[in-house]
Amino acid sequence: MLPVLSMLILVPLIFAVITFFTKTKEQARTTALTGSVISLVLALYMYMNFDSSIASLQFVEISKWVPSLGITYSVGVDGVSMPLILLNAIVIPFLIIYSWNEENPYPNRFFGLILAMQGAVIGVFAALDFFLFYVFWELTLIPLYFMVSQWGGPNKDFAAIKFFIYTHVASLVMLLGIFALYFTAWSQTGSPTFNIQELLTQFQSFEAPLVKDAIFIALLFGFIVKIPTFPFHSWLPDAYTESPIAGNVLFILLKIGGYGLFRIMLPILPFTGTPNLMISIMAVLGTASIIYGAFVALSQRDFKRMIAFASVSHMGFVVLGSAGLVSLSVSGAMFQQFSHGLILSVMFMSVGVIQTNAGTRIINQLGGLSKKMPKLALIMVVVFMASLGLPGLTGFVAEFLVLTSSYVNLPGYVLAVMIGIVITAAYHLWAMQRSMFGVYNEKLGDVKDLTNYQSLSMAVISLLVIYFGLNPNPVLDMMITNSEHIVSLLSVAGV
Amino acid sequence: MPIGDFAFLIPLLPALAFVITFFLGKKMYAGGALVPIGAITLSFVISLLITLNLLQNPDQIVAQSVDWFGAFNLGILIDPLAAVMLTMVSFVSLLIHIYSVGYMEHDKSKPRYFAETALFTCSMLGLILSDNILQMFVFWELVGLSSYLLIGFWYGKPSAASAAKKAFLTTRIGDVMFLAGIIILFSDLFAIFNGFPDNAYMLQFTEMFNHIPEIAGMSAQIFGFEVSHLTLITLLFFGGAVGKSGQFPLHVWLPDAMEGPTTVSALIHAATMVTAGVYLVARTFPMFISAPDTLIVIAYLGGFTALFAATMAIVMNDLKRVLAYSTISQLGYMMLGLGMGAVIGMEAVGLSIFHLINHAFFKALLFLCAGSVIHAVGTHDMRELGGVGKLMPITAITMLIAGLSLAGFGIPGTIIGTSGFLSKDAIIEAAFLFGEQSHNWLPYIFAIVGAFLTSAYIFRLLFMTFTGKPRTDYEGHESPSSMTVPMVILAAFSLFFGMFTTGMFSRFLGDTFNFINMNLNELATSLGNYELLHEAGHEPLIILWLPLILAVAGLLITYLIYHRRVLDFSVSRNNPVYKLIYNRYYQNEILTEGFAIKVVYEGLSLALYHIDRGINWIVNAIGSALTEAGHMFRHVQTGVVQNYATAIIAGVSLLAILVKIIMEVI
Repeated sequence: MLPVLSMLILVPLIFAVITFFTKTKEQARTTALTGSVISLVLALYMYMNFDSSIASLQFVEISKWVPSLGITYSVGVDGVSMPLILLNAIVIPFLIIYSWNEENPYPNRFFGLILAMQGAVIGVFAALDFFLFYVFWELTLIPLYFMVSQWGGPNKDFAAIKFFIYTHVASLVMLLGIFALYFTAWSQTGSPTFNIQELLTQFQSFEAPLVKDAIFIALLFGFIVKIPTFPFHSWLPDAYTESPIAGNVLFILLKIGGYGLFRIMLPILPFTGTPNLMISIMAVLGTASIIYGAFVALSQRDFKRMIAFASVSHMGFVVLGSAGLVSLSVSGAMFQQFSHGLILSVMFMSVGVIQTNAGTRIINQLGGLSKKMPKLALIMVVVFMASLGLPGLTGFVAEFLVLTSSYVNLPGYVLAVMIGIVITAAYHLWAMQRSMFGVYNEKLGDVKDLTNYQSLSMAVISLLVIYFGLNPNPVLDMMITNSEHIVSLLSVAGV
Repeated sequence: MPIGDFAFLIPLLPALAFVITFFLGKKMYAGGALVPIGAITLSFVISLLITLNLLQNPDQIVAQSVDWFGAFNLGILIDPLAAVMLTMVSFVSLLIHIYSVGYMEHDKSKPRYFAETALFTCSMLGLILSDNILQMFVFWELVGLSSYLLIGFWYGKPSAASAAKKAFLTTRIGDVMFLAGIIILFSDLFAIFNGFPDNAYMLQFTEMFNHIPEIAGMSAQIFGFEVSHLTLITLLFFGGAVGKSGQFPLHVWLPDAMEGPTTVSALIHAATMVTAGVYLVARTFPMFISAPDTLIVIAYLGGFTALFAATMAIVMNDLKRVLAYSTISQLGYMMLGLGMGAVIGMEAVGLSIFHLINHAFFKALLFLCAGSVIHAVGTHDMRELGGVGKLMPITAITMLIAGLSLAGFGIPGTIIGTSGFLSKDAIIEAAFLFGEQSHNWLPYIFAIVGAFLTSAYIFRLLFMTFTGKPRTDYEGHESPSSMTVPMVILAAFSLFFGMFTTGMFSRFLGDTFNFINMNLNELATSLGNYELLHEAGHEPLIILWLPLILAVAGLLITYLIYHRRVLDFSVSRNNPVYKLIYNRYYQNEILTEGFAIKVVYEGLSLALYHIDRGINWIVNAIGSALTEAGHMFRHVQTGVVQNYATAIIAGVSLLAILVKIIMEVI
């Protein structure tokens, strides 16, 4: 059988290198689009041949790498990673189409970085070996760093280095946790392995509770900074604000923090049937992010900063749903990642158009834009409504699953989140009212609507938001299969 | 094929009409108006056929369902309650659509208008035929979305954009309570099923109702009070209804909602939106009737809203605003009717829905008449109107009929009377029985005083608009027949629908909850409801006649003040009571500016904004401290990638060794 998964990681990376060496914008964008379309085809092929009724890993490839240290090259997908790979494969081609005609001094590097990022992120989702996982994990930093520092706004250097150092420190803490896990398991079994599955199983039989807690906290820290949750989110508003739009979309597709929760944290959660400290930590962080993000978003004047805090708020549902520990709450958290990736991509693209065409993205300086930009207005109404959780769109499915099922174990937290929901509606509608509706602000001059390239990419993703909102099953089914599996393992371990 | 198999088309056709008109309407006749009109006509025909079939075979309810996602389903449940609602909503919506062809003739955005009204109708129809609470919530929110789009239809007007946002956010507060109710219900069912059931859908109405006794048995401590989960869930559901159906204190969005076209107001006030809250309570009434504490709350709040809104209707000078407060007040009567479940049991559903249907006819008519006046004359300030009756006789007569129905003219003790009379007086009589039985007299007093004010405000409106001499210069003429024909039809229904259906209506709706095999009245009594009254109609004669007497009094007083001008009732603009009511009890100042802006925005949001800057400052400070420290190693930063790579590998190895040593020590 073809090593489809490895190809899916390698194709974007190879095309990234080719794109780097192209000479003209035309060559760069065509090469990049070709690479991303091949990835999309591969991802769709995998999706078609994926069995969503079983929880075990599929498309597994294992080969030796450094046997003496137990390092292997092993990749595979299950219901946790498949939807996220699909998300990346779907959005990247449309991101390239969206950026088709943008002014750009270095199109070869720009499009190359997009593809490099795609390869690295898919690598994280596919890796079954902690060493490989960490390599790809760190690899994702590099394209984003250059995206922000090369194409960013006025404060780009500061934002880029802040993002790099902050998340890198967190990654190092996570690495400490990985090493502790690795060595403890090694001393227990006598043979080294970096295999994620095996290490997580070994973890359950570790004897010293202090070691277990330390490893748990170290790994969790790496993930929650990446997600990020309150109060570890400070890198995000700066990075999102200064980043170019393509960088924003890449940030949004970087779902590796939440992925870590499902792949690594939940299987080693010290769950004994009743909420304990670790679960409370996750629940508090998730709930606080939802409410805090919403309130802070309400007072932002910069559109991008508002969406940045909206993102913090949305990702709180991922953490809360994971801590909910009911199969449907965990599936809801997984679906939130998928949904958030689609919705926020289009929201950032919308803001990108506003900034380029109207010259500013300060909400109060806009006004009545829908008069000049009816196409943009239509798309924005769809994704803003999706983002505030309107039923019929993807955001609602995720939030509804998280809220109903988390309530079983975490009633108080869920009721607190209810406040956040009203505020979420408020900042979305208020921003729309001030920017798109009302009297047209004549100072903006004659603002142009979306180009065909922009309309195409934004409309397709918006249609997916509607489609998966009405019929989430194509991705939700496999998520449910795997969440049931994760939760069932928990109750066995807890006894 | 039984007609029930076509039930899925009822919401689907308007949904398709929405898509077609939105994208292709520009190229079609009348902005694509015929597409939604055709679709809704078909929806109406199917609904009507299902209703007629149910009238003959009460056991042939439509019940279909398919998997949706997770443990949930999509399904259709059409029993008598849903059937009458579907028929009414599609019928009234159809008439409003036909009327809109004339009314919106000169608007450039017709395709968007007709698309969004089709979406509005689709959402409401979908809400009505849902067989589970999740699907109902989905359509509930889509109703909210449609109203947002339509109230803000002229979004270039800042006031319209603001009113749209206000409507969405205010009802959203109710929606969140509704959602919280669903969440608690979900976790109760999760506990009852011990997980997710294999052969049943969570949140289907049948499951909800079948497990009422278990849910009533669960309780929570709230502020030291022992509250049953059933009471909690029903109160939260009612909270949702308070938002959608404009009950105090979440009614503030409804008067502002007139920023949209008048036809949209007609849709919102009669058919598609505000009735959703009443329908929610009626649909889940088996739960409400088993939670008597909630019923008392509903009775009080409904009665209070009926009176409170009527006091404001009487001082407003804007045609549409009077009607808006009138709607709030009438919705209060419907809620009051549902609260009467405390004494008349499940019959309260028929009582309230009968008024809902009649109200839909006369309130849609009132708005269409108002629209007709505005269309012809160009103003909706009653101080500038007067004498319009001579210019527009059809409008004047149909509006008079609607007014008589609203004020409740008829002969007590018989079934002769306007539709509004038959349904509203039944509610007021029930409130009297409720007072007798439970010694809660306030709801009755609210209702009866409200009846007087109702008559007074509507005749004030009619006299000021149609009689006397024009107060400003205008010329007008009767509206085209596409507008007057729907008005005449609605007038006929406002006048005769009650007489033809009273009695039959409550018998028909009595079969509503037959799909669950329970004696709900007995269940309710066993769960603490009052002893039900089985013999209504023993009220003293004066109680029967009092509403009519007060309505006539209202008519006479306004006649003397506004027509004959023999009574001078004008009060000083500085009269504190007048000022209080005219400024709408300062609700806007207190709720919008005081709470929403001062507390939520300036208080919490900006406070957290500064806290966030504080966190950011700390992070940056740590960062720059580290950078300072890093300067000591400046010469290491050579900028060559190879060196960085070596450094990273060295660092990682060092880290690994460090961990290894620590592990050995532990």
